[in-house]
Amino acid sequence: MDAIIRSRGAYVCRSCTQRVQRQLRRAYTSSAAQPDIYDVVCVGGGPAGLSLLTALRANPVTAHLRIALVEAQDLAKIRSWKLPPDRFSNRCSSLTPSSALFLDKIGAWRHLERDRVQAYHEMQVWDGVTGARIEFDWAPGAAPAAGTTIAYMNENLNLTSGLLRRLGELGGVSTFDNAKVERITYGEETDEMDLREWPVVHLSGGKQLSARLLVGADGANSPVRAFAGIEARGWDYNRHGVVATVQLEGEGWGGADTKIAYQRFLPTGPVAMLPLPGNHSTLVWSTTPRNASLLKSLSARDFVAMVNAAFRLSPTDLAYMQTQESGQADEYAWRLAHTPFDHRAVPQTVAAVQEGTTASFPLKLRHADTYIGERVALVGDAAHTVHPLAGQGLNQGQADVQSLAKTIEYAVGHGQDIGVTMSLAPYVAERYAANHVLLGVCDKLHKLYSVGSGPLVPLRSVGLNAVNALGPLKSFFMNQAAGNGIKVF
Amino acid sequence: MRPSPRHLPRLLRTAPPAGRAAQFAPRRTQPSRNHSAGPPNPPNPPSSSVNATEISHFSALASSWWDPHGPSRPLHLMNPLRHDFIQACLGSTPTSPGAPLRYLDVGCGGGIFAESAARHPSTASVTAIDPSATILAVARAHAKRDPSLRRRLTYLGETIESLPLPSPNPPQQQQQQQQQQHHSVSGPYDVVTLFEVIEHVDYPAAFLARLTQFVAPGGWLVLSTIARTWTSWVTTNLVAEDILGMVPKGTHDWSKYVNEGEMREWFAKDAAAGGKQWGVPRVMGVVFVPGLGWREVRGSEKVGNYFFGVQRLA
Repeated sequence: MDAIIRSRGAYVCRSCTQRVQRQLRRAYTSSAAQPDIYDVVCVGGGPAGLSLLTALRANPVTAHLRIALVEAQDLAKIRSWKLPPDRFSNRCSSLTPSSALFLDKIGAWRHLERDRVQAYHEMQVWDGVTGARIEFDWAPGAAPAAGTTIAYMNENLNLTSGLLRRLGELGGVSTFDNAKVERITYGEETDEMDLREWPVVHLSGGKQLSARLLVGADGANSPVRAFAGIEARGWDYNRHGVVATVQLEGEGWGGADTKIAYQRFLPTGPVAMLPLPGNHSTLVWSTTPRNASLLKSLSARDFVAMVNAAFRLSPTDLAYMQTQESGQADEYAWRLAHTPFDHRAVPQTVAAVQEGTTASFPLKLRHADTYIGERVALVGDAAHTVHPLAGQGLNQGQADVQSLAKTIEYAVGHGQDIGVTMSLAPYVAERYAANHVLLGVCDKLHKLYSVGSGPLVPLRSVGLNAVNALGPLKSFFMNQAAGNGIKVF
Repeated sequence: MRPSPRHLPRLLRTAPPAGRAAQFAPRRTQPSRNHSAGPPNPPNPPSSSVNATEISHFSALASSWWDPHGPSRPLHLMNPLRHDFIQACLGSTPTSPGAPLRYLDVGCGGGIFAESAARHPSTASVTAIDPSATILAVARAHAKRDPSLRRRLTYLGETIESLPLPSPNPPQQQQQQQQQQHHSVSGPYDVVTLFEVIEHVDYPAAFLARLTQFVAPGGWLVLSTIARTWTSWVTTNLVAEDILGMVPKGTHDWSKYVNEGEMREWFAKDAAAGGKQWGVPRVMGVVFVPGLGWREVRGSEKVGNYFFGVQRLA
């Protein structure tokens, strides 16, 4: 408010400025117009940010909070997102039952296009070098009461558009989309209020939002995190995740009712085939940047051959095919004839790749030093970036949001200022260690299986085979993956 | 100060003759304190419950009052429990007042409770009083940091003796007018709070007699204090102040602690002597666990810190 006046100061005489200031103050005192001051300003309208705001709006304790959402993209487009039933977006995530339960609790789950969400019930994980295998299927009687679903595969856009529809139904969020955050500063002190500790988000076009609590749900390169001076540490894997929507020759070996997720650990990184409705699947292949750019340059026929090879041929065969500029289809047909494998232990053969769905992104590990600062909280990728091999990235964000919403609810119910670190501390206490362990486990798994030869290789296979043989331990792992197991943290 | 039977029982003592408060005020040895936080406060009239030494002690702490890692940390950590206890009290009888509630916070200090009460969704207004101008300056400056408090929280530099008594039965119209004005809502109040205060008062019986007149019929008086036991002497004086230094030296005067039984007794006597009618008091004992914060421990009201709530029936 004062910043605007000050910037005009050069053109307006001092007494006029004071008059404007008085008028603005009066405008603020009247109960109707408090245009700039919000309890929560959330930067970022991805799954984490939207879930947080939905959770706050859906809870009667926090529903009275003044909330603003800032997003760079056009949210109307995402809200009305629609694809024909045989087309799927290439950005999919695994949603654990606990994430689904949370989404259901805040009323968003029913707004998802449910026939585009695919539950899966088994996981097949194996070592590409030794062939050692772990089969994650529920032993009779070992399945949790909630059902036999390990997780749900879902397009990220299905989630965000569902959340936007739910938020629209709840109402009460001031939305600033197509809006760029130009800078974040601190507020100022006037006769009546002292906002020197309140972040002020300056949007392109001059709009300014003062935040009691500024939430950074603004991704791995979070401007909010930078504003708060919170360091994010970690490393790049020198790997890219190649994604694509593919069509298999059938609905999968388990039919429509028992869908199976596959993951093979190759020395260059894991490749995963995750089931979508019908005979569709989504591919996530972590590989070298060189191979990633090769995959993106191949013809559809050669690309399909490479994907089929990734689940069937030896790492040596694959390494050779990755040196070819084209012609992988013929090479694959010839090499496959000389490779013995169990057809039913790998995903059904890929028949086609959906046009325009092949893309890649660099893989990294990042963890912020903390998730909170004075009047700042970070959620989702702004707080941590994890290797996708366990499909936990989005679920970690949902767990963050669930915890932060609970922390805010407690603070509101006890008259605390929701922006101060004292009120926010339980959120960090609950989430930091849990996220850190998961980040570490995924990192170690990646590194362990990146080794192509040497003493580690037989040792890790003993690990996989042993786990497969130990029934109780396996169910424990599966329950962890499904997010409904014994809480160890 | 060591425990000694000659201090018992405190609550049976009545108000002093004029001039006695001043005579007794400097009886504690003054620990070295930094007075730079503000000028010393003017001496209080002899009829006041307020002890001048206590005021200057807390005034000296003013600058660090809102530092969550400073000497007031135990108070910050205790604050959510105060709300839990108040909600439990209000919820325990069908005759309790409903939202929006009017609060009077006596001995508000830097405003840790007063701010949170004003922010609470069920609150209409909070009137918070404290005799220390230095601390009130801190409280007001801090309240400025939250625009939502401006119309719901009023600080007054008053003692319970100087605060005008509520008119016996304020007409409905007058009450509504007060609520619209937002500022300086006069009593009676739905909830009168007295947190960690009575152990700093010289003549608690006279103090309570005055205080209870501000409680509206059906309203609650809620306070917290420390029982006068060997355990509380060891924990609050010896360990917290002298050994760990968790609480600034001179914060607690063990001989002024009031036991829960004495508190009950006072309310029973008040009713018997033809004063106000009081409900059955509710009590919650709490224990500070370093690293964890405050925890409710059943029965600990006989030993150390406790909350005490009593409803005015008529």
